[in-house]
Amino acid sequence: MGMIIQVQNLVKRYGDVVAVDNLSFEVEQGGIFGLLGPNGAGKTTTIRVIMDILNPDAGSVTVLGQSPGQAKGRVGYLPEERGLYRNLKVLDTLVYLAELKGVSRPAARERAMGLLERIQLEEWAARKIRDLSQGMQQRLQFVASLAHDPEVLFLDEPFQGLDPVNAERVKDFVAELHREGKTIVLSSHQMNLVEALCDRILLIDRGRALLYGPLAEIKRQYTPNAIRVRASHIPADLPGVVEVEPDDGAFNLGLVEGASPQKVLRALLDRDVEIQTFEVAPVPLEDIFVAVVSGEEEDDGLA
Amino acid sequence: MDWRKVWVVTRHEYLVNVRRAGFIIMTASVPVLGIVVLLFGAFFAGQARQLGAFFEEQFDVGSKRIGVVDGSGTFSPILPEYQEDFVPYTSEAEAEAGLTAEEVSAVLLIGEDYLDTGRVVVMTTGSGFGAAMVSDSTTVRAFFVDHLLADWVDPALRERAADPMDAEPRVISSGGETQGEGSWGFVFTFIIPYFLSIFLVTTIFTSSGYLLQSVAEEKESRVIEIVVSSVRPVELMAGKVAGLGALGLTQVLVWLLSTVGFSGGAVALLAVAGAAFIPVRVLVLGVVYYLLGYTLYAILMAGVGALGTTMRESQQLAGIFSFFAAVPYMLSGFLFANPNMLIARVLSFFPLTAPTMMMLRLPLAEVPWVDVVGSIVVLLLSVPAALWVGAKLFRVGLLIYGKRPTVKEIWLILRGEV
Repeated sequence: MGMIIQVQNLVKRYGDVVAVDNLSFEVEQGGIFGLLGPNGAGKTTTIRVIMDILNPDAGSVTVLGQSPGQAKGRVGYLPEERGLYRNLKVLDTLVYLAELKGVSRPAARERAMGLLERIQLEEWAARKIRDLSQGMQQRLQFVASLAHDPEVLFLDEPFQGLDPVNAERVKDFVAELHREGKTIVLSSHQMNLVEALCDRILLIDRGRALLYGPLAEIKRQYTPNAIRVRASHIPADLPGVVEVEPDDGAFNLGLVEGASPQKVLRALLDRDVEIQTFEVAPVPLEDIFVAVVSGEEEDDGLA
Repeated sequence: MDWRKVWVVTRHEYLVNVRRAGFIIMTASVPVLGIVVLLFGAFFAGQARQLGAFFEEQFDVGSKRIGVVDGSGTFSPILPEYQEDFVPYTSEAEAEAGLTAEEVSAVLLIGEDYLDTGRVVVMTTGSGFGAAMVSDSTTVRAFFVDHLLADWVDPALRERAADPMDAEPRVISSGGETQGEGSWGFVFTFIIPYFLSIFLVTTIFTSSGYLLQSVAEEKESRVIEIVVSSVRPVELMAGKVAGLGALGLTQVLVWLLSTVGFSGGAVALLAVAGAAFIPVRVLVLGVVYYLLGYTLYAILMAGVGALGTTMRESQQLAGIFSFFAAVPYMLSGFLFANPNMLIARVLSFFPLTAPTMMMLRLPLAEVPWVDVVGSIVVLLLSVPAALWVGAKLFRVGLLIYGKRPTVKEIWLILRGEV
């Protein structure tokens, strides 16, 4: 798969404040790319530059081999600050937004009706948006970014303000779009959802890249040398184990560097320990996020 | 500039706003008023006489006859042609009784020293306004002049002295053309174009007001970021200016057509006759100033409107432009007397007042060509400058939520640092 978004040495300033500081990354075609970072990290500014809403002060951006301005019609966008025309009819809104992206009126109507069916709002097509419930409006906002059938979709905090049911619906929708071959760039604070959806991530703070690459690789890098075992007991002289810590009916075993979890498992079986679960301790993305951002702030004397 | 997208925005703005309740109510106000007048007329058609009597009764101030107590002897006996309207009394007490009994509506107490002093007491009931009306009445003045000259000059001269002139305005322009010949000529040459100017100026502000509303609503509803991810701000602005300009013209057209319809074509005839009298120069320049004025104000309204965080805030910010545009109206009284006065000429070169000032001045006098050319050049230079400023404010202002930018931030926006 090729890279369809390329950002090179991007810089964006607001007066004296550097919002994006020499940022470079690429997004793979057909993937779900997570753009992560704390509030004010520069995520939305980066997306706005890629969407041609803001001009960069330095650096270059190409989307689908074109400049952001030229690629507008092939890219969809669900902004963090979002809303729709409250006094406009549901169908008219989708048709207008698609037409703005260059789709002809008949094609826009057909596409809009298909999308409304997909989110079970087809019966509301002729109603005004203000008549829709909050949840319906959120679903409509989501499909409004798809009205012109984009190749690339930017979702800035798509789960913000959603109840768990609607968040799950949107998550499923994103997964479905991914299966259809769309490239998705996702910015979110909800790490569990990012973890479930994204294959590659970029973590930024104060406009600078802190972590970048395939999610699995990053998680592997940050996996601690530890095992979590749910068992009747833990013998004292296990090879490579330096620490045993009971935790909620299980045991967290700290290993010396280079120790093999397989050897520990064999040793437990050799000693007839009754094992219920044995896992190499997973590291939630959230922990990596907090650790990296806090570490960065400490290095800069901000913590 | 992607003109297809501009067209999509233009059509959207027009179609959405033409269905707004506010627009429909305002546009329908003139036809509805016409219908009310027609129904009123139809209802009373069979009772025209009663209707006339009804109005007569409403406006009747009682007897129109005037009592006279002549202490000077100059007005006795009362000349035959005035005997129907003027009633002689021998004393003030008798006249007062006649006034109280509503035999007369006023009494003139003419003293013995009248010929030396001209002093006349005007006695009325009710407010002092009635006395003032009597003093200013043409009939009363004729009564005095006729009686004073009765024994000295012939009736024709007396009549002329009582009504010395019937003025017909005639204005000679610097090119030697004659304008406004006759009373109707004056109406067609000055009054109709003047009100036409006011009418057009009003539509400029109606349309740019809709534009302000449209921008503020898009921003307030947070839909704007989706829109500017699809079209460039300058394209969005151009589409809005065109669409809402067309909306303003629609309103004018509906008003004109309904006026023509309800008045059985009389207004149309008047308009045709008026147009024949309105110099081509005034008509052509009126259209030029209308287009330049609307474009300038609309762009500025859109730019400044985008800075507000709510509709009300945007309206407050845009109020500054309405103030400037209203300045020429404030000077209307002076403009009638001297359309080429210095302040009017100065304001014709200031971009924010030039369109309205020139539209008001043009019908009233021969405006110097230097003012016409100068003001058009100023406006032609101002429109791109406004577009530059407006587009910058619009582009950045649209994405500022929750707080109005400070003057310093606006300065940074204009310098391109935001």
